[in-house]
Amino acid sequence: MTADPFAPHALRTTPGIAAATTDLTKVHGSGDTRVVALDRVSIEFREGEFTAIMGPSGCGKSTLMHCAAGLDSPSSGSVRVGTTELSALDDRQLTQLRRDRIGFVFQAFNLLPTLTALENITLPLSIAGRRPDQQWLDRVVAMVGLSQRLGHRPAQLSGGQQQRVAVARALASRPAIVFGDEPTGNLDSRAGAEVLGFLRESVRELGRTVVMVTHDPVAAGYADRVVFLSDGRLVDEMTRPTPDRVLDRMKAFDTRAHTG
Amino acid sequence: MLRTALRNALAHKARLAMTVLAVCLGVAFVSGTLVFADSSAAAYRAAATRNFAGVAVTVTPKSPPPGAAADRSAGVLDDALARKLAGVPGVAAVRPSVDGVATLNASDGTPLRADKAWAHPAAAYVPGADGKDSRYPLVKGRAPANSGEVALDSGTAAAGHFRTGDTVTLAVDGPVMTKRLVGIVTTEDSRVTAGGTLALFDKATAQHLFATPGHYTGIDLSAAAGTNQAELAGRVTAVLPADRAEATTGSAQAAQQATNVETMTRGYKKIPMVFAGVSLFIGSFLIVNTFTMLVTRRSREIALLRAIGASRRQVVRSVLWEALLVGLAASAAGFVAGLGIASVLPDILGTSADPLPSGPLVIGVRPVVAALGVGVGVTVLAAWLPARRAAKVAPVEAMRTAGQPPSTARSRIRAVVGLALLALGAGLLISLTGAKDASEANLRSAMFGCAVLVVAMVVLAPLLAGPVIRLTGRLTGRFGLTGHLARQNALRDPRRTAATASALMISTALVAGLAVLGSSTGQALDRQAAAGLGADYVIGTRTPTLTVDPAAVRRVTDTPGVRTATAVTDSTVLLGGSSKEISGVDPGTVKDVMRLDLTSGSLADLGPGRIAVSGTVAREHGVRAGGKINASMGTGGPGREFKQYTVAAVYKDNPIAKDVLGARAEVAKHSFTPGSVQRVLVRTDGGTVSRTIEDRLRTAVGDNPLLKVQDRKAIVREAAGTVGELLTLMYGLLVIGAVISALGIVNTLAMSVAERTREIGVLRAVGMDRAGIRRMIRLEAVTVAAFGTLLGLAGGLFSAWAVGSLANGAMTEYSPAPPWGTLLLVCLLSLAIGAIAAAVPARRAAALSPLEAVADS
Repeated sequence: MTADPFAPHALRTTPGIAAATTDLTKVHGSGDTRVVALDRVSIEFREGEFTAIMGPSGCGKSTLMHCAAGLDSPSSGSVRVGTTELSALDDRQLTQLRRDRIGFVFQAFNLLPTLTALENITLPLSIAGRRPDQQWLDRVVAMVGLSQRLGHRPAQLSGGQQQRVAVARALASRPAIVFGDEPTGNLDSRAGAEVLGFLRESVRELGRTVVMVTHDPVAAGYADRVVFLSDGRLVDEMTRPTPDRVLDRMKAFDTRAHTG
Repeated sequence: MLRTALRNALAHKARLAMTVLAVCLGVAFVSGTLVFADSSAAAYRAAATRNFAGVAVTVTPKSPPPGAAADRSAGVLDDALARKLAGVPGVAAVRPSVDGVATLNASDGTPLRADKAWAHPAAAYVPGADGKDSRYPLVKGRAPANSGEVALDSGTAAAGHFRTGDTVTLAVDGPVMTKRLVGIVTTEDSRVTAGGTLALFDKATAQHLFATPGHYTGIDLSAAAGTNQAELAGRVTAVLPADRAEATTGSAQAAQQATNVETMTRGYKKIPMVFAGVSLFIGSFLIVNTFTMLVTRRSREIALLRAIGASRRQVVRSVLWEALLVGLAASAAGFVAGLGIASVLPDILGTSADPLPSGPLVIGVRPVVAALGVGVGVTVLAAWLPARRAAKVAPVEAMRTAGQPPSTARSRIRAVVGLALLALGAGLLISLTGAKDASEANLRSAMFGCAVLVVAMVVLAPLLAGPVIRLTGRLTGRFGLTGHLARQNALRDPRRTAATASALMISTALVAGLAVLGSSTGQALDRQAAAGLGADYVIGTRTPTLTVDPAAVRRVTDTPGVRTATAVTDSTVLLGGSSKEISGVDPGTVKDVMRLDLTSGSLADLGPGRIAVSGTVAREHGVRAGGKINASMGTGGPGREFKQYTVAAVYKDNPIAKDVLGARAEVAKHSFTPGSVQRVLVRTDGGTVSRTIEDRLRTAVGDNPLLKVQDRKAIVREAAGTVGELLTLMYGLLVIGAVISALGIVNTLAMSVAERTREIGVLRAVGMDRAGIRRMIRLEAVTVAAFGTLLGLAGGLFSAWAVGSLANGAMTEYSPAPPWGTLLLVCLLSLAIGAIAAAVPARRAAALSPLEAVADS
């Protein structure tokens, strides 16, 4: 059967879900070095929602994001982006999926140093060999406030500006979902706040779906929903979070970690 | 620090493997060539020693003083003298010899190995007390016993397809003789084992041919046990007529013969030596590059060492230790490979007609020292620059993530130095183009100019990388984003790109330059021969004293298929104070067989007292047609007479007509052998050139192996001689350059991929597939290769043009004729090398997971 991986799977589809995992398990190593990074995690990311994934170091939050974004393959369980089951895709199809339907914002910016800001923003489109939708591009560029710096190389931009280029790159191809991996980890608080503001705006005003891994309660405060991971399991969830409430919840982990 | 160096060397095995390979290649050529040289010299010496094994002293007639009659001493060595010598104390045995030269035809009628005039000894078979000649052991048949019989050595018999009982055609100095082959012998004579022939006659026949009846050309004496050769020579000299014969020791003769033969075959060693030099020179760029990259990669580590208190000197020493280890390993491996080269070189360089002596490999001190010196020296020197740079790294600087772009001050110095060198090299070459004189000094200046030019290009390459790659980027840009990224990556570190491309640049320059020179020279020679030659065949003699039998000229004229045959007498003429070559021709037929470009006068006016001269001669003597010139024809003696000649015509310089043309009747009167003929120019019906006609012409001149029957192609080939060698050199350099350049590109790309792991991960994460990554790396390699090729091509063509205009002085017909097809092929090959070299790094880059971008930050 040569099923089109991008065709809708009617039975599994839940309308309004940008991405979802079911019983997602990821095991690293084997024998004595066996580590269960994710233990049957089932989670849905709803369209038009800004979700933050939190948890103590080593809880598996990055692994969850990597698997959900098609960067890493799960040991078992399923991952869907929109209606597409990722386990059915080969490397080429996964690459295409990342290119066309997923956006990334990394902690280390990860811009290509040889390309200008504009070239970096349109990189996924260039790879696909598509012309950017100029109207959309203008809107994204205007939102992140880079109109004057499009011809600069990354080395000529500050960290905050570089991360804004990265946000614009993630949005340029109108992806179904944008993943952020500690996007404010390398920024000072002001630049971080700006970037988080853009991510929230992209959800509110541009209708995107954003999933962000962070360990910073302030960053999590920008999200619509926070999910908490501990030892590879989904342990809690919070809607309309504030930094204080998130901090309290995180402290509970610490206490438990110390007492348990 | 030594331990650090060792650890580093081991940690970068793969990277260093390329460097080791490059050094190894150069060392292999150097040591291989030296071992080959030593071994072949030893083999020649051994052969010569064996040849003179039983000879303690040889008595030969003394060369007569100049002006004395030549035949005065011919009769000194006779049986009476031999008996007298046998009585000298310390002489064990006496063996008279009669030696000369004889050239043979193979059984199919073509001259056998006749190109080497020095390698056709002939001798008498002189049986000893046991009825056998110990110098020439018979392996088949029997010794020649009368004037109709001959014996040959086994190599000659095999090469000429002779079996005992066959008829052998041979010539000593004039007429052709036929003899029956009765025996086959072996010989240690190194002239024969190095690709010559040996013919043996019975004593009387040899005496008739090479001496006078009853006389010998030499008498060999063997010594009684315990007799010193030099002392014996002294005692023998005492009994000889002092002014008519002399004694030489066997060991002195052996040494002389070994030296002679080795000198004749010395050219064999040049080409491998050039390969060695080139591979080491090109390889040193690879080494510099590798160490630069290793040091750059380790800059944090070095900064850490510096921060915890290592001095600059310690850092430099650590890098140099590493280079030393690499150099030692590479030299050792290269030396072993060199032994392999040395053992196969005789088979590659020698042919069945031209065997090189075989013998055990002789491993002297020289090749070992050279291998170590060259391998370790080049590596350590090449590593010294990056080591110094590494030591200059300030600890703070190295902690930064991004590498600093090279300072503009430094690139300005580079530009100034590079342009100065370029001006010097190019200026020197351009100034030489005016000289049009291929003198030794000018050629040496040209070589120097080329070398300076190459260095200038190497220095300027990093600055040229930007503009040139932006230009080639228009082509790679057609591949869309991958092409764009490839171009940007190649531009990222111009110095590294330039160093990587340098190997290809130098080899392309060498190959392109040699290709242009080779093709231009070849065409010039062809034109030169064609310009002068109206004939389809030239029959000539192999030795200057030899003549063509006048009866043979008539037979050639009567040969079916021959339209005209004109005899030419070659002689000399004294014009003013200088000796010139004169050709005596028949004024009526000269136009048919020589294509002369007359600048003034008419050839029909040639005749007694009237000569034609070449343009050069006319210029030297300031004459033109109708002018008068004083000349003396012939070799002449003390009483030669000058006579006034009228210049009938002036022709453009022409190798067939030589310096002066005269009427044959007059020239032949004064020639060395009056009335003789040295050349016959033949025109065939319809200009046909075929094996059949050639065979008929050979038959017409009596199948004399001393006569050459050559068509135009053969004449050009003979004149071209060294041009063929140039082509071998060119293709060899191409291969070596290709291998080393490929190693360099693999190395740089592998390093570059390792440095860009994260970037490649990002590209994969945002949606570039593996094929795209592979294409990007391949295009980067092709871009670097194209850069090197373009620069090399420019340098090579320019140098070839400049050096070529010097050749113009030596070859009137020279004009630059770039072989565009070959050059295009060289360019395509270079690009292909880039693409092929990229295969492994590209695969490795494509295999990187997109997670590399996010993980391990």
